[in-house]
Amino acid sequence: MSTAVTDAAHIDDHHGPDKGWTRWLYTTNHKDIGSLYLIFSLTMFFVGGAMALVVRSELFTPGLQFVHPEFFNQMTTMHALIMIFGAVMPAFVGLANWMIPMMIGAPDMALPRMNNWSFWILPFAFLMLLSTLFMPGGAPAGGWTMYPPLVLQTGDAFPFLIFSVHLMGLSSIMGAINVIVTIINMRTEEMSLLKMPMFVWTWLITAYLLIAVMPVLAGAVTMLLTDQFFGTSFFLAAGGGDPVMFQHIFWFFGHPEVYIMILPAFGIVSEIIPTFARKPLFGHDSMVYAASSIAFLSFIVWAHHMFTVGMPLTGQLFFMFATMLIAVPTGVKVFNWTATMWRGAMTFETPMLFSLAFLFLFTIGGFSGLMLAIVPADIQYHDSYFVVAHFHYVLVPGAIFGIMAGVYYWLPKWTGRMYNETLGQWHFWLSTIFVNVTFFPMHFLGLAGMPRRIPDYATQFTDFNTVASIGAFGFGLSQLLFLYIIVQCARRQGAEATSEVWDNPKGLEWTVPSPAPYHTFDEPPPVTRDVAFT
Amino acid sequence: MADDRNQERQRIRRTALMLAAVAVLFYLGFIAAGVLRS
Repeated sequence: MSTAVTDAAHIDDHHGPDKGWTRWLYTTNHKDIGSLYLIFSLTMFFVGGAMALVVRSELFTPGLQFVHPEFFNQMTTMHALIMIFGAVMPAFVGLANWMIPMMIGAPDMALPRMNNWSFWILPFAFLMLLSTLFMPGGAPAGGWTMYPPLVLQTGDAFPFLIFSVHLMGLSSIMGAINVIVTIINMRTEEMSLLKMPMFVWTWLITAYLLIAVMPVLAGAVTMLLTDQFFGTSFFLAAGGGDPVMFQHIFWFFGHPEVYIMILPAFGIVSEIIPTFARKPLFGHDSMVYAASSIAFLSFIVWAHHMFTVGMPLTGQLFFMFATMLIAVPTGVKVFNWTATMWRGAMTFETPMLFSLAFLFLFTIGGFSGLMLAIVPADIQYHDSYFVVAHFHYVLVPGAIFGIMAGVYYWLPKWTGRMYNETLGQWHFWLSTIFVNVTFFPMHFLGLAGMPRRIPDYATQFTDFNTVASIGAFGFGLSQLLFLYIIVQCARRQGAEATSEVWDNPKGLEWTVPSPAPYHTFDEPPPVTRDVAFT
Repeated sequence: MADDRNQERQRIRRTALMLAAVAVLFYLGFIAAGVLRS
């Protein structure tokens, strides 16, 4: 404990936070930057959520009610871009910033000034993207996948879209470099790689994925840009180019991106379940190997997004079986979490509830993914609402519930106050019920043949669409409760949290007081049996 | 102590530059692949 808190009065290069807004603009402190990322992510979550509600309002009944089809397409595209790059990814980077240095016993991230830069790029990138809503031709409307030649019909928004994607990529790459460098070089001496907490491990693997694939997305959109403005024909058939090549390059980024959005959630759940089952994580090392296998496999399955484009039979077979193979390490993880709970002294506080919902509902998303991997079946499911149901099960009760579980778990460490447990449980149950009301009927809609990305539909799809829209509004409104709970803690309302917060949790972050002091671990802390994972 | 810190800084810089180089290589590599293909 003595090494955890810096005596700020006696050391010149350690000072408290600046006063006023410059604290946030110039900060190089990992906790400040973590908070900035998390606040930004929550803001984008509500902006992207509002766009989803525009979509669901229009789809409440058949026919065109509220918006023009063009604007509907802008909403689906912007919703995806904002939720993926603005909400989910920055939330995980925020959690990484807050927790990784504390979990490995480091005083801060390895490259604090680059850390500041990584964050402050983001608000500009998203302001630029959102500004396209007010431009002639409106915002991008060709889908977040930006397939040419459709995307090249975007109006004035096109270069803004490309530049904002470049900025998001730059921010992610710098964030990933920072995470890897911090974990590799700044662990406390006694923490060998296999002694690292699972959240640190999954983030290390995620960061390698980011460095490998974000430049690929940047390359793809650079080529789109030159096709549009500099006379090249990378993807233009008329000039000898190949539009399908864009799809290959995009999904070479896009599939690992899915794991970028889920691996840190695996890490969070792997921290929470042992705490509330009061048992060590079952198969810690096998979890590491499973996450690494998932990351490797994510690079060799991209064309399962493109079965209907056409490819040789051997290609279809390879991508189908490689995709199915991912179920093996994912199954290892699901069984390990279950085995961790087996005969544990379980309690069901909000973080644990979100983790359990994650376990059940993410698995549903995983299974529908397996169904989509089957080539002949995929030809039926492709571009239907079944796909929408599948990836929303992976991303909402998967990634977002993982983030929410992490926020409830670590909020007392950040703010020094316990959140309101009753409200937390209300938030959990409302979110879990409404997420299923929203997305489960979409499986049926897809199987019945409703295509995705349409503002109007045949009348036989009405009932399930109405149910889904009611669920979406219920889910959206439930999140106001989440906001209220966080604001309560941030305003120092609620019971004071102890340094351990929970019942004997493992990890160095629980050895520092709550709220965590501005500077932690001046000296490398020892990894005693009490805080060790393995 | 100061030597240790310098060594750590060198290590950090080396790792960061290596990772940045990989990112640039992937970026340019994929564009080069596009040039060769089209």
